Amino acid sequence: MKKITTRAASVLLLAMLVIMGMNVYILRYIDQGRSWALTFARLNTESTGTVLDRNGELLAYFDANRNDYSSDQTTRIANYHVTGDYWGRTPTGVLTAFWSEMQGYSLLTGTTHNENSVLNLTIDAQLNRIAYYAIHDQKAAVLMMNYKTGELMAMISTPSVDPADPDEIPGDGAYINRCLSAVYAPGSVFKLVTAAAAIETIPNIFERSFYCEGEYEVAGVPITCIDAHYTQTFEQALSNSCNIAFAQIAIRVGQDTMVKYVRDFGFLDRQSLNGIKTAAGRFPTEFVGDPELGWAGVGQSIDLVCPYTMLRFVAAVGNGGVLCEPTMLLNGEEPVRSRFMSAETAERLGEMMNYNVVSHYGGEDVFPGLRLCAKTGTAERGDGTNNSWFAGFLDDDAHPYAFVVLVEGGSFGITSAAPIANTLLQAAVKKY
Amino acid sequence: MDQFASYMMTFSKFVMIILSASIMVRCIRSMLREKYEPETWAYLRVGRETLPVRHWENLIGRSRSADIRLDLEKISRVHAVLSRNDRGNWVVYDIFSKGGVWVNGLKVSPRGILLQDGDVINLAGHTARFLAIPPEKRDKLEAKRQPAGKVSPTLTLLELTVFQLFLLMQHAFNAKEEHLPAIALAFVSLIALEWSVYNAMRVIGRMGFEVETLAFYLTTLGMSVAASSTPEDMYKQILLTAAAVFLFVLGGWWLRNLHRTSVLRIPIAGAALLLLAVNVVASDVVLGARNWLEFGGYSFQPSELVKVAYIYVGASTLDLVFRRRNLFSFIVFSATCVIALALIGDFGTALVFFVTFLVISFLRSGSIATVFLAISGAGLAGFLAVSIRPYIAQRFASWGHVWEDIYDTGYQQTRAMSAAASGGLFGKGAGAGWLKSVFAANTDMVFAMVCEELGLVIALCMVLALLTLTFFAMRSAGSGRSAYYAIAACATMSLLLTQLALNVFGSLDLLPFTGVTFPFVSRGGSSLLSCWMLMAFLKSADSRREASFAVRPVNRMNDLSPRPEYGPEESRLPEEVRR
Repeated sequence: MKKITTRAASVLLLAMLVIMGMNVYILRYIDQGRSWALTFARLNTESTGTVLDRNGELLAYFDANRNDYSSDQTTRIANYHVTGDYWGRTPTGVLTAFWSEMQGYSLLTGTTHNENSVLNLTIDAQLNRIAYYAIHDQKAAVLMMNYKTGELMAMISTPSVDPADPDEIPGDGAYINRCLSAVYAPGSVFKLVTAAAAIETIPNIFERSFYCEGEYEVAGVPITCIDAHYTQTFEQALSNSCNIAFAQIAIRVGQDTMVKYVRDFGFLDRQSLNGIKTAAGRFPTEFVGDPELGWAGVGQSIDLVCPYTMLRFVAAVGNGGVLCEPTMLLNGEEPVRSRFMSAETAERLGEMMNYNVVSHYGGEDVFPGLRLCAKTGTAERGDGTNNSWFAGFLDDDAHPYAFVVLVEGGSFGITSAAPIANTLLQAAVKKY
Repeated sequence: MDQFASYMMTFSKFVMIILSASIMVRCIRSMLREKYEPETWAYLRVGRETLPVRHWENLIGRSRSADIRLDLEKISRVHAVLSRNDRGNWVVYDIFSKGGVWVNGLKVSPRGILLQDGDVINLAGHTARFLAIPPEKRDKLEAKRQPAGKVSPTLTLLELTVFQLFLLMQHAFNAKEEHLPAIALAFVSLIALEWSVYNAMRVIGRMGFEVETLAFYLTTLGMSVAASSTPEDMYKQILLTAAAVFLFVLGGWWLRNLHRTSVLRIPIAGAALLLLAVNVVASDVVLGARNWLEFGGYSFQPSELVKVAYIYVGASTLDLVFRRRNLFSFIVFSATCVIALALIGDFGTALVFFVTFLVISFLRSGSIATVFLAISGAGLAGFLAVSIRPYIAQRFASWGHVWEDIYDTGYQQTRAMSAAASGGLFGKGAGAGWLKSVFAANTDMVFAMVCEELGLVIALCMVLALLTLTFFAMRSAGSGRSAYYAIAACATMSLLLTQLALNVFGSLDLLPFTGVTFPFVSRGGSSLLSCWMLMAFLKSADSRREASFAVRPVNRMNDLSPRPEYGPEESRLPEEVRR
């Protein structure tokens, strides 16, 4: 009998397998139960919900039988990457990101019936429409926020999709929100980051002068400029967007310090917009040597930047070095603040950016009525076209807006991206 | 009123979870706290030592796992088997020992020799005297053993009853009015049934009610599933449950007598094969598998009855385990069953049989090599099956990828998982789920249905109930009277666990979706009948004092009034002994 009993332990093996399987299930349930439940939830819970913009304009409405969006096609397309769709094709859209809250789901209670849950957004659907028209048929990412409150007011990514038209053939990468989920070579717009690091770490940087002959060799590797800028101050070097000066500055700052600032400004990590994860950027963090570091300091090399992270940076500069973490939810909560740089650095950098606009971008002739602080960027894509950047903020307490415009395959930043920014800012200043 | 209803609903959910947990804990506790002491049937005096004979079947040998261990020179590791039949006749068998066995000077063969009180057994030169125990002394010994029922079974059953009433209340809130009387009647009859079984057991002085309580718990969940998904069939469900419990009692009573149990093994094997043959030839194809037979309006699955027969036939007494070392006839029987099921197209059940086969053959032979050989053989056969039957291959293809095609190959599993997650920990309330309207929700996806309506906690209790029964079977096996009961109990639980695993993990996409039933809970009459009948094997292994109705009490046995003319061994006795 004992023999049989000993052998009976083999049944324990089966029991262990069952217990292991149940554990696997429970872990998966905790991890993915939400998406499982929500897949077929709405038909069964009959929850209803609405997504509204900051002025109460309807962006989406659903009940058990309906998946509706705005009745206006332009509104639907211009706000597609904000709302996303009911099938989750754009995971960063609020209809996907906040679906479980709107539907009513939690791990403990499972799905619940939610009667008209309302999601109020800080986005202004009208500003999105205006920006969408300004973009025309280009591929672009446009972001605008209030740097004093953190409210994200405009977010457009093109090509876009009409979510109410299921038969539409989407454009290239139309489901990707270029503002949050894409990274681009930053080009000269990255000089703002190098400049911030330099102001904080190089003594008397404003008294120094930089010399540019159009070409400069670092350890046998040439660094080139479009023009020869000859002798220039730090301010002039930024407005000239002088590669040679900024390569020298980056080398002077040193790789470790550059990496520290780039990391502190959030460029290397995925950021979170109300829990929606954005793309992480890139900067040489392993030792690369001076020539490569010089190129990295002017936004070339392997640098990649997500437009959203650039928005956080210019917003911090605009707000005296303190970032109000962007939010899409209009819930009256105090913004989360974090210091990016000293107030003095922010002020000096802001002045330099304003000097850019006044001295090189046409000042108020081109941007009437705006006290604009900005920087362009033009990163070559190798096919004759560029990624054109325009990033900055309004130095205006009544209209504290920071913005980033990126045009994929555009020409120069000032010709492709700046006009979109101008149209958007003019509309925002006029409206608010 | 609405407010009150939702308040009661929430309240009942919490109470039901607490009761479920408590029922499980009480059943497990009674298992842990009670000693499963074996009985003492006789003594063997070797030199100055008096060794107790603890079972009906005892292995004598030098091996550590021998029941009567004689660590003496020339004694083989497994030397002899000392066994008792129902009528109290003791027989000693020489199981191919090197040193040999003699009784009163007569050489014992593997076919055994009948023993009398005081007989001298010579084991490879060492003498042992066989001493029977007179009835008065045995009663005294028996009185020393701990009786079952230390953790009050009445209270556990009361908890189950309250659980059932709350469950009924939830159904009352959610069911359609026209179905309410039938549902109420079903739950009330279930309560009446369990209490009458319990009281009947008390009348005959049996207090071990763990198996029944857990089986009734699972049956209750099955009743709830039926009330949600097929409320129009409640009367049928009541009848089936009553029939199942009746068969359970009948089976337990039948198993009390090991002799009649053994005699029927061959006829039952034949009947099982016949049933499968009829099934292969003449049955309706339902959903790819031809495993249904129609009988005057009732359709039933022969393979479910064959499960019971399979274990009945597969279990074996200890003397047979050692006397017939090869499992040839059992392997042929198993292979025939599995092939028949494969022909029918019921691959899930074929797999269940196969795993049970592995367990039984390991329990009987102790040989891991045999198990590996069987697994590799089956792997080959499985490979062939997959290549011949494309729809099985398709199930494997969609396994792990069900979310990629939620409208076709992953239709059922994705809905099952979604519904299961919808329920959260506490469930939507009995009858309030949506999965029930999906095809096969109440059978293949029943775990998800319970998750959705009653919550993950109760669904886990449902799994725990079967695990508890498994530990119960293993624990009883150690003190069981006969290897037959021990093997049958362990085989039963491995069969049910395999079914559980295939059912639960299949619907949750952790295993391919094979469509077998969850024991007791899945809707299906033949499945319920077979599960209850299988429980009789568990009862027959439980030899605690005053515990199981399927075990005869010691004091009703008459070991010292042997009737030598009776018993199967008698015919096999050598001429000299018969005298």
